[in-house]
Amino acid sequence: MRSRWRHIKRDISPWSLLMVTMGILLGIPLFSIGINLFDGVGDMWNHILEYFLLEYISNSVYLLLGTGIICSILGVSTAWIVSKYDFKYRKLISWLLYMPLAIPSYIVAYTYVGLFGNGGSLILVLQQLGFELQKIEFMNTPGLIWVLSISLYPYVYASLRAMFSNYPHALRDAAYLLGANENKYFFKVALPMAYPALIASLFLVFMEVLNDYGAAKYFGINTFTTGIFRTWTALEDLSSAIYLSAILLVLVFALMRLNRWMRSRRSYAFKIKEISDKGDRRIKLEGRRKYVAYFILSIPILFGLVLPLGQLMHWASLNMEALYSSELWEVAFQSVTLASTAAILILLFALVLLYLSRWNYIKSLNFFSRIPAIGYVLPGAIIGIGIIRSSQEIINFFQDQLGLEVGYLFYGSSFILVYAYIFRFMAVAYNPIEASSLKLGKGLSESSYLLGANRWRTMLEIDFPLIKPVILSTFLLVFIDLMKELPLTLILKPYNLNTLALNAYAYADDERLVEAAWPALLLVAMIGLLMIILNRRTKMNSN
Amino acid sequence: MGTDKYILQIEELSKSYDKKIFALKDFSYKLESGKICAVVGESGSGKSTLLKLIAGLERSDQGQINMGDQILCNDQIHLSPQKRSVGLVFQDFALFPHLRVKENIAFGLAPGSHSKIEQMLKAVRLEGYEDRFPSELSGGQEQRVAIARSLVREPDLLLLDEPFSNLDTNLKSELRHEIKRLIKDLGLSMIFITHDIYDAMDIADEIIFLKEGKIVRQSAITDIFKAVKDKYVKENMEELKRSAETILSMIPK
Repeated sequence: MRSRWRHIKRDISPWSLLMVTMGILLGIPLFSIGINLFDGVGDMWNHILEYFLLEYISNSVYLLLGTGIICSILGVSTAWIVSKYDFKYRKLISWLLYMPLAIPSYIVAYTYVGLFGNGGSLILVLQQLGFELQKIEFMNTPGLIWVLSISLYPYVYASLRAMFSNYPHALRDAAYLLGANENKYFFKVALPMAYPALIASLFLVFMEVLNDYGAAKYFGINTFTTGIFRTWTALEDLSSAIYLSAILLVLVFALMRLNRWMRSRRSYAFKIKEISDKGDRRIKLEGRRKYVAYFILSIPILFGLVLPLGQLMHWASLNMEALYSSELWEVAFQSVTLASTAAILILLFALVLLYLSRWNYIKSLNFFSRIPAIGYVLPGAIIGIGIIRSSQEIINFFQDQLGLEVGYLFYGSSFILVYAYIFRFMAVAYNPIEASSLKLGKGLSESSYLLGANRWRTMLEIDFPLIKPVILSTFLLVFIDLMKELPLTLILKPYNLNTLALNAYAYADDERLVEAAWPALLLVAMIGLLMIILNRRTKMNSN
Repeated sequence: MGTDKYILQIEELSKSYDKKIFALKDFSYKLESGKICAVVGESGSGKSTLLKLIAGLERSDQGQINMGDQILCNDQIHLSPQKRSVGLVFQDFALFPHLRVKENIAFGLAPGSHSKIEQMLKAVRLEGYEDRFPSELSGGQEQRVAIARSLVREPDLLLLDEPFSNLDTNLKSELRHEIKRLIKDLGLSMIFITHDIYDAMDIADEIIFLKEGKIVRQSAITDIFKAVKDKYVKENMEELKRSAETILSMIPK
C-alpha cells in the first residue's frame, strides 16, 4: 500500500490533474441527469406515464427496428454491387450513394410532404401518367421509418463498402475453388465476415434515430426525443423531462452493450492488402443482371437525393427573391461562424485530452479523458436538458453564494451552446485523431524523447506534421455535423442566434415550406460541397 | 561514468501490466562498461519491457536501476528518457518519415552540428544518402540511420530491440560486424535483444536467457555450453550444436 502511494506520488503530474478536471467539467450534462434523478419526478409524470410513455417506447422501438432493417438492406446491397461488380458509371454511382447524408432527415421529411402529399409534385406527375392517386401518406410511423432510413443508410453503405473492398481476392478464389457460387460466397462468407462493420454502422444509425427531433415532430410521431421536448416546453416540467432522458439513457446504454457484445462475438481478423481490389478484378455485369443492379442502386439515389433535392429546387424557384435577401446570407454567415468556431474548439479539446491522456502515467485515470466521448451516443435532447438543469444550479450558486449575476453568460450568449456541441461531438474529433495517432505508434514519440526532445517539441515537430491531414479531415467532419445539428441548437440557442438548420426547421414547422427551401438548399449545398472535399481528402490521405 | 566498473546495475526490478502477470519479476543484473550483452528469450519473456524500463519509457513497479552512480528509477524517482544517457534502436527503427536522413540524425543534436552528422554518416557508410527520406531507403540502410541517430548523441549505453530480425541473412552478418566495430571503436556498452542465438554468439560478450520475466541463465559467451540446466536454454544450445555439426560435416576433408 505504501509503495502504491509512493508510485502515485512519483507518477502524478499536473497533466493528470488537468485531464481529470477537463473530463469532469465536460461531463457535467451527464452527471447532472444522474444527480437530478434524486429530486424525484415532476407534477406531470403521472400524466406522461398514463398517456405517453408506452407510446414513446413502442414508437422508438418500431423506428429502431424498421430503420435497422431498411438501412441494412439498402446499405449492404448497394455496397456489395459497387465493390464487387463493374458497370458503366460505377464510380459516379458509388459516390452519389454517399450524398443522401448531405440532406438532414428533417429536410427530407418536409420534401416528402411536398412530393407525396395532397397536390404534391410527384402525385401530379403520377396523375398525369394516369394513376388515380390523391396522395401517398408518409406522415405516419412507416413513413418516418422510410424517411430516416433513406437519409441514414449511407452510414451502413460507407462502412460495408470499405469492408467489402478490402477483402483479399484469395477469399473469393478459395470459396469458388471449394464449389461455392456467387450467392453462396456472399451469404456464407462475405456477409458474415462483414457483421462487425454492419453492427457498428447500425449502431450509428440507431443513435441518429434516437437523436432525431425535426422529422418526428413534423410527422407528428411521439418519440422519446419529441417527448422530452414537449415535457419541458409545453408541459413545463423539467424534472419529468429528466426522468424521460434517464429512461432514454438506459436504452442508449443497452444498445451500446448490445453493440459491444455482438461485435466481440464476431470479430474476424484477416490480412488486408493495401490495394486488394483493383477494377480489373471486379466482375463485369452484363445483360439482365446489369439492369437489376441499376434498379437497386437507383432506389436510394432517387428517393434519398434526386427527389428531395428536386423538390427543394422547385420550391426555391418559386421564391427567388429570398436568394437576394440579406436575411438568408446573414443566417448562413451565423451558421458558418458558429460551426467553424465550435469545430475549432472541439478539435482543440480533443487534441488536448488525447495528449493529456498520453502524458498521464496513472493509467486508471485515463477513464476521465473518455467521458466527453460519451456525448456522441447521447441524443441532443438529453444533453440539452442536462445542461439546462446544471446551468440553472450554477447560476443559482453564483447568485446565492457570491451575489453575482451570471445568467446572461449562459442564456444571452452562445457559450452553453458551444459547450454542448463540444460534449456532443467530441468523439467525432477524438476517435479519428486517436486512431491515426495509434496507427503511427508510440515508437516515433519514444524515439524523439530518447533523442532529447521534450513533450512539446515531440508534439509539434513529430506528431503534428504526421497527423495534420487527419486533423483537417476531422475538422470538416465535425463542421458538417455541426451545420446539420438541430435539437441541441433548438434548446440552447440564445434568442438572437439563427442557423440555416433552425431557419429551415422553423419555416417548415409553420407550414411555410416554400420559404424553408432556400435555407435548406443552401445548407444541403454547403454540406454536399464539404462532403466532396472530404471525400477527396480521404482519398489523398489513403494514397 | 567511464571509470565505474559497471555501467548499469539493476536490482530486483519488477514490472507487471495488469497486476497479475509479471513482464519482469525481481530482475537483477549488472553490465560491465564497454561490454555487449545479448538478451535471448521467447516472445513474452520480458525482453522488450527490460529495454523500455532502462530507457525510461515504462515505469517500474519495484526495484532500482542505476547508471554509474546516478539513480535512473526506483519507487520515488523516475528520470525522464531525455535525461538518461541511453540510446535505443527500435525493432522497426522508428525513423521520422517526414524528415530526411540528415534531419533524422540531427534531431537530437544542437543546431549547427554539421560536422558531427557528416562523421556519423561516414561511420555508418551512408554518405550520399543524407537527402533521402526513410521511405527511399532499404531495410539495412534504415537500420544504419537508426543506429547513427542514436550514436550521434554519444550515449553511454546503447539498447537495440531485435536489430536484425527484419533483415536477410547476408545483410544481417554484415551489420552485426559493423555494429560491433562501432560500439568497440566508440567505447560504448550495449544491450541487445534477439530471438536468434547466432546473433548473440557472434557479437556479444555475455548472454542472458530470459523466461517469464526472470533470468534462467547468465554467462560469458565463452562459457555458454557449460552445465546447462534449463530446458529452454538447453534446446537452444542443442540446436546450435546440431547446426555446427552439420556445417562441419559439409566441409570436404
